[in-house]
Amino acid sequence: MVDIFPKAKQVDVMLLLEGTFPYVSGGVSSWVHQIIKGFPDLDFGAVFIGSKADEYGEIKYALPPNLKHLQVHYLHDEHITPPVAPCAGDPHGFEILQRLHSWFANPHPDGLPAELKQASFYLKAKGGVDYSQFLYADRSWQYICSLYRERCTDPSFVDYFWTVRNMHAPIWQLAAIAGSLIPARAYHTVSTGYAGFLGGLLHHHAERPLILSEHGIYTKERRIDIFNNEWIQDNRNAMQRDPTEISYFRDLWIRFFETLGRFCYDASGQIVSLYEGVRQRQISDGALPEKISVVPNGIDVARFAPLRTARPAKPPKVLALLGRVVPIKDVKTYIRAIRVLVNHIPELEGWVVGPDGEDPEYAAECRALVLSLDLADCVRFTGFMNPVDLFPQIGLLVLSSISEGLPLVALEGFAAGVPLVSTDVGACRQLIEGVGEQDQALGVAGAVVPINNPQALAVACLSLLQNQQAWDQASQAAITRVETFYTQQQMFARYHALYQEALS
Amino acid sequence: MAGIGFELRKLMKGDSYSSLLMAYAYAGIISSGPWVLSIIAVLLIGLISLPVVIPALLVSKFQTVVTYLIAFSLILTGLVQLSFTRYSADRIFEKEHYRLLPNLNGLLLVVIVVSGLFSYPIGLLAFPQQSLFFRLLFAATFVVLCCVWVTAILLSGLKAYKAILVNFALGYGSALLLAFLLRHGNLEGLLLAFLAGQFILLLGMFWVVFRGYPSRIFIEFDFMGSGRMYRSLMLTGLFYNLGIWMDKFIFWIHPVTGSNVIGPLRASLVYDLPVFLAYLAIIPGMAVFLVRIETDFVEFYDRFYDAVREGGSLSYIQEMKDEMVRVAREGLYDIVKIQAIATIVVIVAGRKLLQWAGISEIHLPLLSIQVVATGFQVVLLGLLNIFFYLDKRNRVLLLTALFTVLNLGLTLLSIWMGPYYYGYGFALALMVTIAIGMALLDYDLGKLEYETFMLQ
Repeated sequence: MVDIFPKAKQVDVMLLLEGTFPYVSGGVSSWVHQIIKGFPDLDFGAVFIGSKADEYGEIKYALPPNLKHLQVHYLHDEHITPPVAPCAGDPHGFEILQRLHSWFANPHPDGLPAELKQASFYLKAKGGVDYSQFLYADRSWQYICSLYRERCTDPSFVDYFWTVRNMHAPIWQLAAIAGSLIPARAYHTVSTGYAGFLGGLLHHHAERPLILSEHGIYTKERRIDIFNNEWIQDNRNAMQRDPTEISYFRDLWIRFFETLGRFCYDASGQIVSLYEGVRQRQISDGALPEKISVVPNGIDVARFAPLRTARPAKPPKVLALLGRVVPIKDVKTYIRAIRVLVNHIPELEGWVVGPDGEDPEYAAECRALVLSLDLADCVRFTGFMNPVDLFPQIGLLVLSSISEGLPLVALEGFAAGVPLVSTDVGACRQLIEGVGEQDQALGVAGAVVPINNPQALAVACLSLLQNQQAWDQASQAAITRVETFYTQQQMFARYHALYQEALS
Repeated sequence: MAGIGFELRKLMKGDSYSSLLMAYAYAGIISSGPWVLSIIAVLLIGLISLPVVIPALLVSKFQTVVTYLIAFSLILTGLVQLSFTRYSADRIFEKEHYRLLPNLNGLLLVVIVVSGLFSYPIGLLAFPQQSLFFRLLFAATFVVLCCVWVTAILLSGLKAYKAILVNFALGYGSALLLAFLLRHGNLEGLLLAFLAGQFILLLGMFWVVFRGYPSRIFIEFDFMGSGRMYRSLMLTGLFYNLGIWMDKFIFWIHPVTGSNVIGPLRASLVYDLPVFLAYLAIIPGMAVFLVRIETDFVEFYDRFYDAVREGGSLSYIQEMKDEMVRVAREGLYDIVKIQAIATIVVIVAGRKLLQWAGISEIHLPLLSIQVVATGFQVVLLGLLNIFFYLDKRNRVLLLTALFTVLNLGLTLLSIWMGPYYYGYGFALALMVTIAIGMALLDYDLGKLEYETFMLQ
């Protein structure tokens, strides 16, 4: 593959992006794009970390001119392993690894062995543990065996062995990236996980500050992945299995990502949460409260303001769920709610606005559900639409998700005066009802309903659509809230301060 | 064709001493049958012709010619014996049974051409005193012998020991019968009988292969493709056969111990007879070897790798490894024990046995040490087989090459030291090779799990 991306000798801010910008479109990617464009005076660099090259198509964003450097790495591609070479392994290096694992089991501040913070630990054969030693050293083997005996509750050794190997292999790839990356004055990672670990290594290696912005909670999202993942083995037999206890290997993966997260929290000078819920979670996952600040997303309100008048005076009887057609968005609950709504308002339409290529099986199930509920005339899968075109045509924005962060589409809808009916996930309640006295005084910008409850969702939508006064009130609250708390200018101001401090 | 291990286990199911004895007897016949038959047949051909018209000198000429033909055909085909066995095993593992027959044909064509290129010029040029018929027989027998070894090695790779045995009995039986009929035909008559017997043996084995592994393709050279035959195995096969014959060659060539028999072919009056008799004494060792390796060792070997692949716990994997080590050790010890008994019998009753067979007692000291040495050879065979199971091809190459060199050096040394030391060179070469092999096996088994998981 020819690398056509820009390359620089050094940058001001190096962004560490795992599975987002510029290859994946979505809230976080848009936010990254927005940040780079928002600071045209700074030179940005970016490291994209993906799983496998063939899972990503073309890049989805025009690269801003101040993105001076972009390099792409895939962790789960058939990467080049060093030639098989049996060796004993460096005694000192493995001793440090043992101390590391006991630190993971009993984390306490300042306990992390200093040697481990250096990328060179993972790259040198003497005094460290390089990739070849991890793969082939006798000490590595002995260590894996002793951990299996000590901890593993799943009988299958071969599965344990390969789980441990696959899980840890990216660490050496990341260390190699850290060792060869161009210098930057500050590092900014947009998640924990592998990108966060890379950020931690870079921080210790280059002794430059690391900023962590967390939109969702990486470990929580991983947890959902891991629970849904069938390739993670569970070899306990009926007698050994305790249904209340998850498979050991699932648990191992979860703890691994939690550990990567802790390493990143430990290395970060500033931790930014998108909303209060994220902050609470970060603290419980081991981040120090004094490092954390809450900076919500902000949008370019001016872009959407003209749309308020483009809408007919009476709100259209059209609902829109704006998002990818994937299980996490729980599109099925939305479709069931439309069934209830159409019983009351026969002319009502429910749109699903977003790409459906990511999980074709789920998308097909949704279409089948539409047919079986006799909604073929009422539910439309429109595919991707420009929000600017969409918002004047709809009366309500709906989110039936089982997990959200602080959804940008909600803010954009607000700016266009579209109220939101959402499940009580992520920052949605905060967006609809407000936090703090001043915010709450602005009123309710829609309605909050429990997850997986089509009846409640339908009732909430109905009361807004059939009550012009309530709708007008919600629309006004939405506009005022976004203009007061969620503007791009406010967000840029906060990040300006963070960057200033980090770059000095 | 059911594997030999399966049949042996079936025999031992009876769980009584008689069934155990049956199993060992069966294993003994299966494993030692072919070469016991060939040694006995060659001796018998000589015996039945002796009282008739042929002078004793002609009989020893015949035996020398056959010995040379066998030795050099084994060494030449040694290049492909192990490598083609491995090739066949790999094809069977990949369920490509239809590849066996056409590639055997392909290999035989190559073997015929190469062995013919050696044997015809040598046969025609090296025996100016002999008739043209003898020279042609000499060359043809070499080619047919080469084909016999290649086909037999394929069948033994398929564990079709019974089929091999039956065909050897058939082939050498015919040779014997023909030798009796042609006993007035001088050297040519005996050699023709031998050649015809070999040809029948070859056809019989062909029949087994053609029937057991039919194919739509007649001839194919897939085995010559890159990565199809392991070079290390080719060298190993060569060294193994060269090593085993090295001491005999030296005794033939050395002016002190060897003398001309026919044309350029030499024999050693002092060395040859005790050596070939000693090979008859390893039947019990071979039986133990077959039973121990093919049943007990393979059982735990399979369990070990099943546990690795199918998610056994580490302690179970290690337990199976320990069992494997135990069975390997017991197998090798058992070979040593049974050969020790054979040795004691030969030392105690050797004089009587030699008298009874009408052989001079001069040979007794050499026979005693040769029985010890051939017993070692079985141990080495067992050791090499375990290395093959562990896929340690380089170890086997190292050991066989070492053995060849040691056998060369120590045999020369033994001749230089005098008649009292004859045979000690061969025995010592084997002993040193086994000692080093044991140390390597110990090291490798210690690292087995590590290498299985980390270094594959």
